[in-house]
Amino acid sequence: MKRPGILGAACLVLLAVIDVRAQQRTVWDGVYTEEQATRGEALYGEHCGKCHGATLQGNGEGALPLTGATFKSTWNGVAMGAMFDRVRLSMPQDKPATMTRQQVADLLAFILRANKFPAGTSELARQTDVLNAITFQADK
Amino acid sequence: MIWMQDGARRNRWGQPRSSLKKEAGTFPRKCQPPFYRFLFALGAVALAASIISGQPPSTGFVATTRNGEWQSYTGDTRGWRYSPLDQITAQNFNDLEVAWRFKTDSLGTRPEYKLEGTPLMVGGTLYATAGTRRSVIALDAATGELLWVHRYPEGSRGAAAPRQLSGRGLAYWTDGRGDDRLLYVTPGYRLIALNAKTGQLIPSFGTHGVVDLKVGVVYGNGKPIDLETGEIGLHSTPTIVHDVILVGSAMKEGMTVTTHNNTKGLARAFDVRTGKVKWTFNTIPKPNEPGGDSWLNDSWAINGNTGVWTQITVDEELGLVYLPVESPTSDYYGAKRPGNNLYGESLVCVDINTGKPKWHFQLVHHPIWDHDMSSAPLLADVTIDGKPRKVVAVPSKQAWLYVFDRITGVPIWPIEEKAVPKGDVPGEWYAPTQPHPPAALMYGRNALNEDDLIDFTPELRAQAKKNLERYKWYPGVVYNPPIVGNVNGLLGAINMGNANGGTNWPGGGYDPDTRTVFAQAAMATIAAESVAPPPAGFSDLEYQAGVVGQPFRVREAAGAGTYADIPPPLPARGTASGGRGQAAGIAAATPNPAAASTSGGGRGGEGGLTVQGLSIVKAPYGALAAIDLEKGMVKWRTPHGDTPDVVRNHPLLKGMTIPKTGQSGSVGLVITKTLVILGDPQVTTTPEHPRGAMLRAYDKVTGKEVGAVFMPAQQSGSPMTYMVNGRQYIVVAVSGGPYSGEYIAFSLPPDAIAK
Repeated sequence: MKRPGILGAACLVLLAVIDVRAQQRTVWDGVYTEEQATRGEALYGEHCGKCHGATLQGNGEGALPLTGATFKSTWNGVAMGAMFDRVRLSMPQDKPATMTRQQVADLLAFILRANKFPAGTSELARQTDVLNAITFQADK
Repeated sequence: MIWMQDGARRNRWGQPRSSLKKEAGTFPRKCQPPFYRFLFALGAVALAASIISGQPPSTGFVATTRNGEWQSYTGDTRGWRYSPLDQITAQNFNDLEVAWRFKTDSLGTRPEYKLEGTPLMVGGTLYATAGTRRSVIALDAATGELLWVHRYPEGSRGAAAPRQLSGRGLAYWTDGRGDDRLLYVTPGYRLIALNAKTGQLIPSFGTHGVVDLKVGVVYGNGKPIDLETGEIGLHSTPTIVHDVILVGSAMKEGMTVTTHNNTKGLARAFDVRTGKVKWTFNTIPKPNEPGGDSWLNDSWAINGNTGVWTQITVDEELGLVYLPVESPTSDYYGAKRPGNNLYGESLVCVDINTGKPKWHFQLVHHPIWDHDMSSAPLLADVTIDGKPRKVVAVPSKQAWLYVFDRITGVPIWPIEEKAVPKGDVPGEWYAPTQPHPPAALMYGRNALNEDDLIDFTPELRAQAKKNLERYKWYPGVVYNPPIVGNVNGLLGAINMGNANGGTNWPGGGYDPDTRTVFAQAAMATIAAESVAPPPAGFSDLEYQAGVVGQPFRVREAAGAGTYADIPPPLPARGTASGGRGQAAGIAAATPNPAAASTSGGGRGGEGGLTVQGLSIVKAPYGALAAIDLEKGMVKWRTPHGDTPDVVRNHPLLKGMTIPKTGQSGSVGLVITKTLVILGDPQVTTTPEHPRGAMLRAYDKVTGKEVGAVFMPAQQSGSPMTYMVNGRQYIVVAVSGGPYSGEYIAFSLPPDAIAK
């Protein structure tokens, strides 16, 4: 029986390191682009603003604020994939699951920008499992 | 009836009182000897008589927890949420482990994020409703293994349902001879009977197992509602006692309605074997009926709602049913219904055989605040001033415990009619007085005083007082009528104990060991009630919830738009302008900085009115209370729930030591031999635990927290408990935020049980 060589073991270690690093990405690491957030802003006005408000302040009832201390506290520590699926599958409330994955990703990019998380050079992905490697972290 | 010859003390059903009560807990599942003895006692003559009349004798079924099962939504028919089990204690609560979990995502076309159910457990099988189709599931109570699923697709009728969540659960019934049934109400308002063993419809019940509950429902002066689109539904479960099924009714949120002439509320009784209607109680009386004169100008004929949307309870010995009735149309504006509007926001006691009212008590006259009646009435036998009393106690959004003699309806402790402020909304009719129970029975916060304002720092208090200048506010007043809000003037009337305050649908519980009512209360739910003219063509009411100068917004019930058969339209690909229109005349949101802090209701521990993102009302934001039902006073109250992250991490509060604030929200509880158990209504991320919520145990006597176990999300449905194979389980529904619905079962590891 052939034993795994040292090279193989090293590869495994390297993969593990990459994996851990990937899991450690947060919304502070520039996970969306400005252009994407701007697309998301238009979608927000069309689909979300009616309940969540033009300034993302919420309506004090079912529609929670999407900015500010309350918003950040509510979502702190959540994987972006979970946030993505929540929006994708249940929003907007009167027409749930009607936006494409790309549209939802763009929307989240806008919400990240509205909360002053930095933009980067690559777009926020539209695959739940990829997004799960990014954590929504309220404070740096 | 001839079979009453033996002279035993009997209840209204003609059955011996003592034996019935004792045996109810043991006979249902396995036909144990006492049940046969009981049947025998009825005598052959009775059987013969019933055969001649075509009616089988009453089974005398009464749900119970006495045998370690949990046979109805509240465990019993009296609203208690009590089980005598005692394996899980203060000493071992922290040893609890997840025994099994059941994720509900695949029960429907999309996951549900607000799972509110409490399962039943009978004979080793756990039954629950779940998912965006309100499916019924049967699980092995020890392992969580799925045994069967029942689904009843309702298409567009379900999609039009006013109450679309998976519901609070179902009801169980047995004849003790192998006919075991489950009854539940679909989102589209059908009553369905299932074989509990197989999940199959029972053909002899209704039409092939289904009773169309929309048949017989009316609006206006008796016009039938449309069976497909007619607005009526229900989240709560049927209540079954003996062979009678009791079913209530619910409509859409009543804050923004298209017409005052809405569906009329009702409660009905059905035969558990056939599904035939036994009686109907109309919650809006006609002019010639008692209470008819409380609708002036024939307004009874053009108004609706007054549903019975929370749990109904029954005293099976007295044969009395307790109906908690909600608000009439609409929640904040009642100009088209001058008068006190019985039985709006009333507790109504009716006869279980006839549905005829015995007594009623209206908690709020001419309701215009959305107080409803939120909680299952709690039936208790207690000793007050040395005398045995049969009482009914009702927790409320007002955080008052209302307590009555349940035979006569007379308040046990005086409920005073006190003058209340009159409003000035055009066309509105105002009741000059409202009933006020004693202060000793107020267990939350139902009025705002200056001392209730945020007090972390003097600056925050000063800001709070300044913010309140924009609102109509009477210190200490519970019933402050809504105003016409204006974005350039006063924004609303401050109320604390209405819409989301105090105790909501999860209700409280009653502990027969300590003769105590336990109830959780939301205490930071400050609301600014205001009305404004809706856009032209939206409604036949001149005013609806809103503020002049703010965009009008239709208020939807939780779960609206989530039903499994709501067809997802083809997504508009790659464009931001899908062009889906909005209802005519309803403006899209426009920037309005003044609006940002004015909305009422409030969630998340900081309420709707905020100061620097913090609740304008000081802690506690939510609490668990114990109310002594023999002395008529609050025994203890303790903040319930971690201090919210927004408080612990707030930059203005850095370095301050803040005592536990508790959390706002609505959570139900389960009572055991020594503990009161309930979960946090919100998630937090603390040094002690990752993002999640705690299921907590409190000592019944002292109120001290004696244990807590971690849950991945907040409690969204009330817990229950049962014993299977020598092991006690606690099952609780969790969901919210990004976490979709899940039932989680906790039990002790073998070494902890042995201790």
